[in-house]
Amino acid sequence: MDARAETLSARLHRQTCMDRLHIRNFAIIAHIDHGKSTLSDRLLELTGSLTAREMHAQVLDAMDLERERGITIKAHAVRMVYPAKNGEIYQLNLIDTPGHVDFSYEVSRSLASCEGALLVVDASQGVEAQTLANAYLAINNGLDMIPIINKIDLPSADIERTKEMIEQTVGLDTKDAIPVSAKTGQGIPDILEAIVHRLPPPSGEISEPLQALIFDSWFDAYRGVIVLARVINGRMYKGQNIRLMSNNTAFEIESLGVLTPKPVEIAELTAGEVGFFAANIKNVADTKIGDTITDAVLPCAAALPGFEEIKPMVFAGLYTVDAHAHTLLRDALEKLRLNDSSFFFEPESSIALGFGFRCGFLGLLHMEIIQERLEREFNLDLITTAPGVRYRITLTNGSVVEVDNPAHWPTPTEIETIEEPVITATILTNEEYVGGILKLVEDKRGRQKNFEYVSPTRVMLTYELPLNEIVLDFYDRLKSVSRGYASLDYHLSDTWVSPMVKMDILVSGEPVDALSIIVHRDWAYDRGRLLVSKMKELIPRQMFEVAIQAAIGAKVIARETVGAIRKNVIAKCYGGDISRKRKLLDKQKEGKKRMKRIGKVDIPQEAFLAVLRIGED
Amino acid sequence: MRDNGSSMLGVYISIPFCRAKCSYCNFASGVFGGDRLERYVERLAEEIHSAQAQAADWQTILPKQVDTIYFGGGTPSLLHPEQLRNILCALREKFSVARDAEITLECAPGQLADALLEALPQLGVNRISFGVQSFVDAEAAAVGRLHTGAQTLTDIARLRTAGIENINVDLLAGLPHQTEASWQVSLDQAIASGVPHVSVYMLEVDEDSRLGREMLTGGQRYHASAVPDDAEIADMYLAACEGLNAAGIAQYEISNFARQGWESRHNEKYWLRQPYLGLGMDAHSMLHGKDGHPRRLAATDDLTIFLEQGARHKSTMVDVDASLEEAWFLGLRRNAGLRLAALEVEFGAEVVAACRPALAACVGAGWVEMVDDTARLTAQGRLFSNEVFERFLGLAPCNIHTPVTKDSHSVGDPFFSVL
Repeated sequence: MDARAETLSARLHRQTCMDRLHIRNFAIIAHIDHGKSTLSDRLLELTGSLTAREMHAQVLDAMDLERERGITIKAHAVRMVYPAKNGEIYQLNLIDTPGHVDFSYEVSRSLASCEGALLVVDASQGVEAQTLANAYLAINNGLDMIPIINKIDLPSADIERTKEMIEQTVGLDTKDAIPVSAKTGQGIPDILEAIVHRLPPPSGEISEPLQALIFDSWFDAYRGVIVLARVINGRMYKGQNIRLMSNNTAFEIESLGVLTPKPVEIAELTAGEVGFFAANIKNVADTKIGDTITDAVLPCAAALPGFEEIKPMVFAGLYTVDAHAHTLLRDALEKLRLNDSSFFFEPESSIALGFGFRCGFLGLLHMEIIQERLEREFNLDLITTAPGVRYRITLTNGSVVEVDNPAHWPTPTEIETIEEPVITATILTNEEYVGGILKLVEDKRGRQKNFEYVSPTRVMLTYELPLNEIVLDFYDRLKSVSRGYASLDYHLSDTWVSPMVKMDILVSGEPVDALSIIVHRDWAYDRGRLLVSKMKELIPRQMFEVAIQAAIGAKVIARETVGAIRKNVIAKCYGGDISRKRKLLDKQKEGKKRMKRIGKVDIPQEAFLAVLRIGED
Repeated sequence: MRDNGSSMLGVYISIPFCRAKCSYCNFASGVFGGDRLERYVERLAEEIHSAQAQAADWQTILPKQVDTIYFGGGTPSLLHPEQLRNILCALREKFSVARDAEITLECAPGQLADALLEALPQLGVNRISFGVQSFVDAEAAAVGRLHTGAQTLTDIARLRTAGIENINVDLLAGLPHQTEASWQVSLDQAIASGVPHVSVYMLEVDEDSRLGREMLTGGQRYHASAVPDDAEIADMYLAACEGLNAAGIAQYEISNFARQGWESRHNEKYWLRQPYLGLGMDAHSMLHGKDGHPRRLAATDDLTIFLEQGARHKSTMVDVDASLEEAWFLGLRRNAGLRLAALEVEFGAEVVAACRPALAACVGAGWVEMVDDTARLTAQGRLFSNEVFERFLGLAPCNIHTPVTKDSHSVGDPFFSVL
């Protein structure tokens, strides 16, 4: 331990003896690219938590994927020590939250650990849908908010307009909004002072029985599960026997500490504080986000409100291209689940693809992340089937089944009614893109709830949309019709009774189970036609003609034909061509390995997700 | 079948200079000034003089006896008689060029100067290959060829007057605006011209030519949208095989047709894996190594580097696995086919046995026929030859002589294990 770290540790120890009136717990709410990570880094720098030398951009987003995508997937909590201008020393806990709609439950629990939030808005971009959704969450959690207008150093910054938009959309008084530039550091000291003076200290009593909120956890290979928690009442200490209230499991705290952002062990965490602990917990699924921790001997009277079991919303089949790699996929999924209990998987088998897994995800981004981690960290070549949602089907015999896999869809004569999940979506965009977006949401079976100008040029649309339309290609098409100038947020809000049907895809006359999707009856013809024509583009020519058909039951509703390949030959092969020819043959062979042979037809990976690419040229 | 090192050498001389670059051309040739050609010829002479030393550096055997020389392009007929003479003199000085050596010069129709024509016989050039591509003038013009069909026929007549009968005509199926009927016109003209050798190629669509790039990006330039589709090109190829065979110009390789005894001896070396020395920019060589493994050598494809620094070859050793693969994918190109007994002599019976399932699969698909002990492509097999050749890659039985467990054959080789 170097001298500096020792000093820091000593200071932190002093902090733990400090009364809760000198503690502030806060989150930062911002849209992607509005500067949350840069701002966090500035706060750490200014409070001396990290020296400039130690800083490397975006300290908090530690996972490679988070850095590349510029998003936060896991929550963090960093303790800072701040000597305020009034001469007193404060403990500031920054609770960094994921920003994406897929993780809105996690966000709500992170926010529940705070008393206040910084609402960061880009002065040139204005309020986006994600900011709005998280700001509402914060308001619902009773948080006090400080509006921060960021990126005021940009020539296109418009502070007054940004303030107006915040007032109009969030309904927040912006009289005391703080204009800053996280990039240049301008205004950052004002933020620290405002945190101290404008956000309330935590309530809660040290003398009460322990009541602490889990807001994140992850698996560490050496210490087992590490839990991030906010102590609401009472205290947590090394050697304490604790109990997790949702599943009534007991553990003994082995170590606890705070992130500065380096982990530093401390003796105890008391009411109002935020920190991590390890308790020899083997399974991350035991530590559910939103769960309440209490003392096993002196339990609290009731669990904290707001806990929900996480339910997957989006479902897809995952298979390996190489059938022999199936067990590798299982091992990889188990390892990933050690760290992410929010996705689930169970074995399934497909006639076309062999053994694989039915997986449930929080949303599309979550699905992409899992898929990318499997491919990147475990070097697997995967085939993902079209994502879908879970339907509640009442059968004619009166029983009710939940179906998330088209392969398990009941025969139409057995179905009485089908209920599909519906979301309420908020879309914020510029006026000029409204036309294209309205056409898109209508095409996606949307029902308008609200249409509002939030500034002279900015429009907020509120729509009800079936979730199954969102999980297909909604994001990409929204991005393309708005040229990226539309933001989307949504939450599950309802179910509709809808005439859904199962559409099968037949390749060379044989139904390929992994390609079946559930669609609305009235949209089926249209979707079928687009889907088979996309598949025609994606399936390379074979030695023979390949028919691609879309069918509902026995009725074929669309058909395309991939013509037979007529030649595959390099006519010219002399001295200089031999090495080139060999490379070409090697490439050809490699290309085939990445395709899945179904019957006699070689189908590339991307064809299984053709339904996601219908909107592309 | 394998060359044992006592074969005579073939020499390829690259002349990457053209008057105009054709839109379908994916070679490293270009349009450069005459002074660079002069410098280039000097460089070639230097390369010839240092060839033996170079070969020793590469640990290869360079045979001294030369029985074929091939001037390829680019457009070698752009050479002045003096330049051609200098190159051939250098070769004759350093190598022992056989009296009856086949010496070929590629020629652009309509660009054969009288002076060069007169010099050819005395320099020993006895074979001319014409890049005709099409006898239909509009088709030739659309890809940037500068000649007409009439000029080609005139040039053929001029050569005959000069005593050169061994003439090849290149035809290219898949040119923009080509139809099966217009293709037939070109075929008929080629046959009627009485030349003893015809090469038939199919348009290659890749990033290395302007037309190819345009087609890959879906553009309209270079008449890209007027290129016949794959099926039409395949039919043109089949029509060529049929028509030329019927005219007595028999197919002897995927792209080559000749009256009996007029086959290109130089090109046969490539498919029979006999040694050849490539000289000049972007020229390739294959020489036997002193360690028993052949080496493939590739010269730089940058003219400036070649002129300033020489060929700067990259050398690749061809190991036993790769040699076996080459034996299949080069040998099967020839209509004479591949004699399995000869393969067994070179690679061992067990190795050849390991290839038999792939062979059987190709026979089953109708791509290969077995005649006695010889494997040959069928007409369909020629059209799908890349599919056939792919099946002989990665069979990896080279270690078969050293004891291996049964399982290790199939590791990482799904095709093998499926069979």
